Amino acid sequence: MTTSPPALMLDQLSKHFGRLQAVDNLSLQIEAGQMAGFLGPNGAGKSTTLYMIPRLVRPTTGRIEIFGVDIWRDYKRAIRNVGITVEVPAFYEFLSGRANLELTARVLGKVSSLEIDEILERIGLADRQHDRVRVYSTGMRQRLGIGRAMLGRPRFLILDEPTNGMDPEGTDEMLSFLREKVRNEGLTIFISSHLMSEIEEFCDTVYVINHGRLVASGGVRELLKAHERIVRVTFQGQPPTREFLSHHEQIRKVEVIAADTMEITLARDDAAWLNQYLQKEGFRVSAIASKRKTLKEFFLSITGGGKV
Amino acid sequence: MHFLNLLRNEVTKLTRHILLYFSLFAAGLVCVIIYFVGGQLSDSATTNAWGYVAFSMQMVFTDIGPVLVISVAARLVALETRGGTIRSLLAAPVYRWEIYAAKAVTGLLYMIVFSATTLLISALLARIHYHFGAVSDAYGVVYNPTQVFHAFLIGYALSWVPLVALVMYGILISTVFKNVGTATSVGITSLFLIDFTKHLIGLDPFVFTRDINYSWLTLQQMTQGMDYAWRPEVWRMITLSGVSAIIAFGIGLVIFVREDLNH
Repeated sequence: MTTSPPALMLDQLSKHFGRLQAVDNLSLQIEAGQMAGFLGPNGAGKSTTLYMIPRLVRPTTGRIEIFGVDIWRDYKRAIRNVGITVEVPAFYEFLSGRANLELTARVLGKVSSLEIDEILERIGLADRQHDRVRVYSTGMRQRLGIGRAMLGRPRFLILDEPTNGMDPEGTDEMLSFLREKVRNEGLTIFISSHLMSEIEEFCDTVYVINHGRLVASGGVRELLKAHERIVRVTFQGQPPTREFLSHHEQIRKVEVIAADTMEITLARDDAAWLNQYLQKEGFRVSAIASKRKTLKEFFLSITGGGKV
Repeated sequence: MHFLNLLRNEVTKLTRHILLYFSLFAAGLVCVIIYFVGGQLSDSATTNAWGYVAFSMQMVFTDIGPVLVISVAARLVALETRGGTIRSLLAAPVYRWEIYAAKAVTGLLYMIVFSATTLLISALLARIHYHFGAVSDAYGVVYNPTQVFHAFLIGYALSWVPLVALVMYGILISTVFKNVGTATSVGITSLFLIDFTKHLIGLDPFVFTRDINYSWLTLQQMTQGMDYAWRPEVWRMITLSGVSAIIAFGIGLVIFVREDLNH
């Protein structure tokens, strides 16, 4: 039985610009058919990592494979099934949106005029396809960028901040459309975004980098669950004092929410242990529940509060 | 196949840009001005149509020709790297050398179109007053129009050789300087700087720009009745311009292929 190779495999990837270590020994693997998020504070190395995939930036060390093909051994074969848009997509301003797509289609060599029509329709630019790109808004450019990345029906999309400049409705619509592609057509998407609520809602897995290193990765839900260390406790009668609780090595932080309610941050995810401990110390607990962290809270907790 | 498609794209981009039409218009305008100025001259430079064409081409390629050719070449790579479109271009299954080669060929195609347009306008203007007849040299040898035409064809083809080097130099500048304006300015300024100083520092024999007018000057001398000989001077010109073109292309290609395009 053969297993299909991952859509993307970064193996001990490093890049330094002079003394600056932009990416440091980064390894990750994205399985085919997944929508994976890529998060990191500003300057964490996200864009450099993404730039290394289409060989815009040459890695100092490490290996990149797309569907099992090393990009430095057979670039054309490796990149054939990939659609990429990095940061604010750039276009030939003096050409129309459609003409820009036609240029890319010609290089890909397998895109019909009908497919361009379909994509323009899908990204909502059919009415403006003959306008020069110079008059497009940022949101329209983003949509055109995604449209361009989808030319030639790639199996793998790499999207760097694809919803920058889009209105919330447009963002939701675009991400839903991409999600649908993942679900119905087995497309793989690697998406870097600062909109963590969208990543949380639409992505299966998430990779977080900081200072060029991978600091967390895994399924979004599993990752958040594993880091659910804040427990909200409601007491019957007299609650313990903050000082009393803070002395225990397993308790990191205590926050009083109301006269009878506290939020307790634990060193490990173990609400049951806290319940037992409080009961043993003579406090009566009327309700105890792990508080679900959002991806944003999770991100801030592991990156030290850096901006995405 | 990819290369041809890339080339088609490059040509499409160039044909949609106003600089192409402006440069052809400017060349035509200079030809017309030369026609009126040349019409006032009574010396042997414009005594027949062949002489007029050689004179006109020489005038165009003394200043405005190289400036326009280098202006177009200097924007070919810089426009992509500065504008960021190089990223999407490289995300397609193409190698960087293919992109660079397509741009170099586009620059050469432009150079040919520019030169051909100038020649055509010069020839059309020449026909108004002059005749493309036989030419005799100082020894009384008469060259019939067909022979002169052949000599002109050879001369015209040879005039491309230093222009090829100029295009490659322009693309090299375009690779080094990412801003279109900067690349164009540096290209034009360096062209004039080299031309004005090469005699002073003894570099004249080694700089290809000295040969940009070589063919037209020789042809003009021929039409004035001077005995002309392409050799051995032509070999020196071909070697110097050829080597310059190869060096400029090679350096530009290496830079373009190896550089990080994360800006």
